[in-house]
Amino acid sequence: MDTVRVTFHPKDTSVDVGRGATVLEAAASAGVTIASICGGDGICGKCRVIIQSGKVDTDPTTLLTREEIQQGYALACTTRLVADTEVIVPPESQAEGAQILIDEDARRFRAFFPTAEKPTFFRHDPVVQKLYLELPPPTLEDNLACQERLFREIRRRIASPVMQMGLKVLRSLPAVNREAEWRVTTTVGRRGGTTEVIQVEPGDRTERSYGVAIDVGTSTVVAHLVDLSTSGMIDAEACYNSQAVFGAEVTRRIIQAEREGTKALRDAVVGDINNLISALVTRHPVELHDIVTLVAAGNTTMLHFLLGLDPSHIRKSPYIPTTTVPPPVRASEVGIKINPRGLLYVMPSIGSWVGGDVTAGILATGLYKSNQLTMLIDIGTNAEIVLGNRDWIMSCAASAGPAFEGSGVKCGMRASRGAIERVTVDSDGRVDVRTIGDALPEGICGSGLIDAIAGLYQVGILDRSGSLLPDSSPRVRESEGQLEFVLVAEGENGATRDIVIAQPDIENLLRAKAAIYSGAKVLLDVMHHSFDDVEQLLVAGGFGNYLDRAKAMTLGMIPDIPLERIRFVGNTALIGAKMAMLSTDAFQASLTIAHGATYYDLITYPHYYEEFMSAKFIPHTHMDLFPTAATFGTAHGEGGS
Amino acid sequence: MTAEIPDVKKTWPHSINTVTIGATATEGGTRTSTITVGGETTLPFYHFEGTMPNKPVLAMEVWDVPAEDWPEPVKKPFADVMSDPGTWAKRCVEEHGAELICLRLKGCDPNGADRTPQEAAEAAKKVLDAVGVPLIIWGCGNVDKDNEVFPVVGDAVSGENCLLGTISEDNYKTLTALGTAYKHKLIAASPVDINLAKQVNILAMDVGFPPENILIYPSTGALGYGIEYVYTIMERLRIAGLKGDKVVAMPMLCDIGIEAWGVKEAKAPESEVPGWGDVNERGPMWEAATAYVYLLAGADILIMRHPDAVRITKNTIARLMGGGA
Repeated sequence: MDTVRVTFHPKDTSVDVGRGATVLEAAASAGVTIASICGGDGICGKCRVIIQSGKVDTDPTTLLTREEIQQGYALACTTRLVADTEVIVPPESQAEGAQILIDEDARRFRAFFPTAEKPTFFRHDPVVQKLYLELPPPTLEDNLACQERLFREIRRRIASPVMQMGLKVLRSLPAVNREAEWRVTTTVGRRGGTTEVIQVEPGDRTERSYGVAIDVGTSTVVAHLVDLSTSGMIDAEACYNSQAVFGAEVTRRIIQAEREGTKALRDAVVGDINNLISALVTRHPVELHDIVTLVAAGNTTMLHFLLGLDPSHIRKSPYIPTTTVPPPVRASEVGIKINPRGLLYVMPSIGSWVGGDVTAGILATGLYKSNQLTMLIDIGTNAEIVLGNRDWIMSCAASAGPAFEGSGVKCGMRASRGAIERVTVDSDGRVDVRTIGDALPEGICGSGLIDAIAGLYQVGILDRSGSLLPDSSPRVRESEGQLEFVLVAEGENGATRDIVIAQPDIENLLRAKAAIYSGAKVLLDVMHHSFDDVEQLLVAGGFGNYLDRAKAMTLGMIPDIPLERIRFVGNTALIGAKMAMLSTDAFQASLTIAHGATYYDLITYPHYYEEFMSAKFIPHTHMDLFPTAATFGTAHGEGGS
Repeated sequence: MTAEIPDVKKTWPHSINTVTIGATATEGGTRTSTITVGGETTLPFYHFEGTMPNKPVLAMEVWDVPAEDWPEPVKKPFADVMSDPGTWAKRCVEEHGAELICLRLKGCDPNGADRTPQEAAEAAKKVLDAVGVPLIIWGCGNVDKDNEVFPVVGDAVSGENCLLGTISEDNYKTLTALGTAYKHKLIAASPVDINLAKQVNILAMDVGFPPENILIYPSTGALGYGIEYVYTIMERLRIAGLKGDKVVAMPMLCDIGIEAWGVKEAKAPESEVPGWGDVNERGPMWEAATAYVYLLAGADILIMRHPDAVRITKNTIARLMGGGA
């Protein structure tokens, strides 16, 4: 057979193919991925390559300018190889080239993602995006209808075999097209395999395209405003979930919904989200109309409340939710005030008690691609624990309570400006605190609580059962019949009130850490693994900006394994939601993750309660499980991770 | 042809601590005898497998105030001596063979007679004067009051190497301090939970109290009232101790009388429950049967009340130890 040799740059990969094969076919057999949406039909114009030397035979095309053709540009799909050829694949045509740019959080934590050799990157292709289109005006020869004309242009830009448009948009279409002289910005959203044209605006509006990623937590709701065109994060805002008035725990709120209906709970969380969005847009030149999508990650129950679904069966055997994969819906349908035709996406859940926040975490950390046995612990009001690698994923949930999020804690607060996030206690009982933003201390957040309690234990102000010891420090005092430790007295560090850790706060935190540790241990037991087998332990959650791993280990919150295997990865629910928002591929990956992960119910484990009880102690009643934790002295507080 | 029977004997890597209660004159006390318990190298009465160097012993219960609320069948044998703990203890030892006396300071309960620490100390002295066996002193159960009473009582019986109890997560600090100062042993209490049992021991050890001076009281349930639950906890504690968990390798103590005589099956007169038989026989049998179960679970000290139950149980112990009638 008559063959020619093709070499692709910049990869410098060569392949022999039959004379007459297209450059695109040659690239496929060489393992070089070239962007192509139309699949080789010469329509999309994505597969631009530069013919550096050699001889090719190419079809005429309108998708390249005269200058480009002179520079050697050709479409890979319609260019046939005649002799040995050198081909340059320019960056814009490298399929894996356009990566989504994640925000500062993600950049900070990227180094910790477990797929070290190849971090989790996805193509920038938001689930809802604006496309500026210059439609060829219709002529007697090109007499395609308004809608189909638009669809044709969209298909040249993004893969969208099935498209639809609402009647409202269709009615406006002829006028908008003509007023704008066929230069329009269309907003398209992915709904399963279908691409919906959400709106058509005159002129180029692509720079005014925003999305909001939301972590709908039981205790805390966090929103990030993202520029969809640049992937850049603009701002963040958080508040406590006002459903708390119906109960701190998920189950209490389900019971409330059973009695009074879901409306009040839905109104509460939707109100929170609207307030957060409204706070975000008032600080920036962003109009609600330009927010075209919202991606929410949360536990399964929270997502039921958000969508107004009946959550009651989640708490009754056999614990079946209404759905784990809610469809994209119009955000306005649930009362969220963004562009009225904007779409709300909900990250798919794994099961009734392991929600879309965990799916997002698995996506964000790349656990599902990891070669290493990885454990992800997402600390919230419920702590979810995920164990697995590229081949299998198991998950479970343990009720930790809201202490880590600063709720139900006497001087607790969210991890926001002014929250004490680091505490060191020296052997004389002197306390040094650091606040988020180096602001005046207002309260204490989860990471500060971990630091403080571990520190108090290390210097003997607290015993192993978590009891404050009277007379152990001048800072221990009695108030309202219970002991408390004065972390910052009024006036110290500019504090306007005493910031204390009360005895019940300690008990709450120890219960929470026991739930986490025992859940992790049981999940490993069930899989016939031990902590020694865990090659990466990722701790996620919004309880602070850092985690002192040695202190967490001192408390017995995380297992006694080499510190270098442990990483704090931040709010992965939010990072994952943002990734899904910015890349349809990432959103698709989340569906695969949710589908493939298995939920394990801890309550079915015969010794779960006993495991929990033994983990309530500092660090544990089986002290030999924590040989190195015992060696951490007061001075060993580590820097941020 | 005979089948080969495999040797299923098990040897454990560790043994249970040995604890001695009481001090004779040469040891700085006034006791005429001491009691040593523990030292097991195997499960209870597995003589084929290991050793049980010290047999389980029986303590009889005496109060610092008359035990008005004891059911009639168990009050009767002591009705004439209940006004004086010394005389009461003397009867237990001399007539019924008590190997220890457990003085329960019920009178100190702030919801009862609310007697002073000094009065409690006097009661303890009376018992020490009246008998030569070692003494267990059990608080009233009110943590705050016990924290007031024990320092005075512990001082009053200083050097006698008594067994004081109970310590829990809430009051281990006071008792461990005075146990160290006045050289007494301690009972660590926990509510039928292996972890809580460990925790209180660890807390005591953390403040420097030697584990060799601690007995475990894992709570006691009467026959028919969760006894199997306590049984498994005791069995697991013992197995953990034999396996080498130093935190639980302690002798165990069971409070039989108070539990057995608290249940209807032991105390309801036949007039109320026709067909159950004479309560004067049924009550002691219930106490003895309860005690039997705890012996098998690994109890080293049993605190009991009724003379008949004590007699039956002593006989049981003798037989289980390989002798007796």
